[in-house]
Amino acid sequence: MTWTEQLADELGRRGVPARQRETILLEMKDHIACEPASVSRLGNPGELAAEFADELATQSARGGALGAFGALGVAAVALIVSQLGLGAAGGYPGFDNGYSTALAIPAILCMVIAPQIALVAGTLALLRALRRRGEPVLPAAEIRLVRRRTWVGLGAGLACSVALEVYVLDFLAVEPAWWLGLVGGLAGLAIVALGAAAVSLRGSGGLVVAATGPAGDIFDDLPPLRPLRGRPWRLCGVVAGGVAVAMTLGEWHAEHSLAEGLQRGIFEGVAATVGFVLLGRAIGARR
Amino acid sequence: MKPNTVKGQLDALILATLDAGPAHGYAVGQALRERSDGAFDLPEGTIYPALHRLERDGLIESDWSTEAGRRRRVYRLTRSGTNALGARRREWSAFAGAVQAVLG
Repeated sequence: MTWTEQLADELGRRGVPARQRETILLEMKDHIACEPASVSRLGNPGELAAEFADELATQSARGGALGAFGALGVAAVALIVSQLGLGAAGGYPGFDNGYSTALAIPAILCMVIAPQIALVAGTLALLRALRRRGEPVLPAAEIRLVRRRTWVGLGAGLACSVALEVYVLDFLAVEPAWWLGLVGGLAGLAIVALGAAAVSLRGSGGLVVAATGPAGDIFDDLPPLRPLRGRPWRLCGVVAGGVAVAMTLGEWHAEHSLAEGLQRGIFEGVAATVGFVLLGRAIGARR
Repeated sequence: MKPNTVKGQLDALILATLDAGPAHGYAVGQALRERSDGAFDLPEGTIYPALHRLERDGLIESDWSTEAGRRRRVYRLTRSGTNALGARRREWSAFAGAVQAVLG
């Protein structure tokens, strides 16, 4: 087996995509053709393939986080426009005025919960990608963490955008055509953007990273939370409590009703706790 | 010189090599060896991940050409690469001066 064949084999074993593999091999063949004896100075094909795979995986995880955040931005615009538009269109239609409450209730729940998950996971992925932007290679565990956060953000963003489309369909006979067209179009755009980000992220999922080291956690990304390191349930309490208080105050102010504020606040606090239990590990908030 | 010592400065060394004009991977490796009088003895293959990284970062760009019937990728500095090289040269001068002052 020649050196180039060994390199091709190692690049394939480490999941380097075919296009990049071909480019690398063409350059190496040109290098060796310039001076056949230089093959002895090229180094170990396995180590070289590992270097390529590690760098590609790092760049793809960082790029994936940035791309996902951009796509989540489109989904956020769709959601905000839908809510502001409802005000201009005559107010909330009421969940039981559409075709079916079986469509409306899951859609509304999804539109309330999924954006918060997307915001947290997407922002954490972005924070890590930006904080480590100068590093040519990140450890395998850290790349996995960034990718998990990105996947959670993308999944939640997609759930919210699909829920918006379901909401639009449910109120097809109730809301004005301009609102239906605008929100349906924006949500569709968000689905396409999120789908594209997911396809791009999935394409680099097969890369095998050799670099070792710790993944780090949420406390590396958010230094003010460091006093809570090692006490994940206290962190959960602080976050859920903070969200509950903020929501209670916001809803109390908006609806001029403390009872409604408390109802919304408690719901958000419970939702934040459930989210922490279910997704805390995936986003590096607990071990 | 230990490969790891050179590797830490590889990006700057490649930028400096390409400052003399466009070059393909083999020529970059040769220039590094010749200009360092053979002191930079690192596996030549490691130049390529660095070249690809520098291109992703927008510091260099490349074009494919055909040479004696085979495909060749030729790299050149971009404007950002020229600026980055200037910054690296200033950093290195300050660092080398400080080390020299301490070592005597």
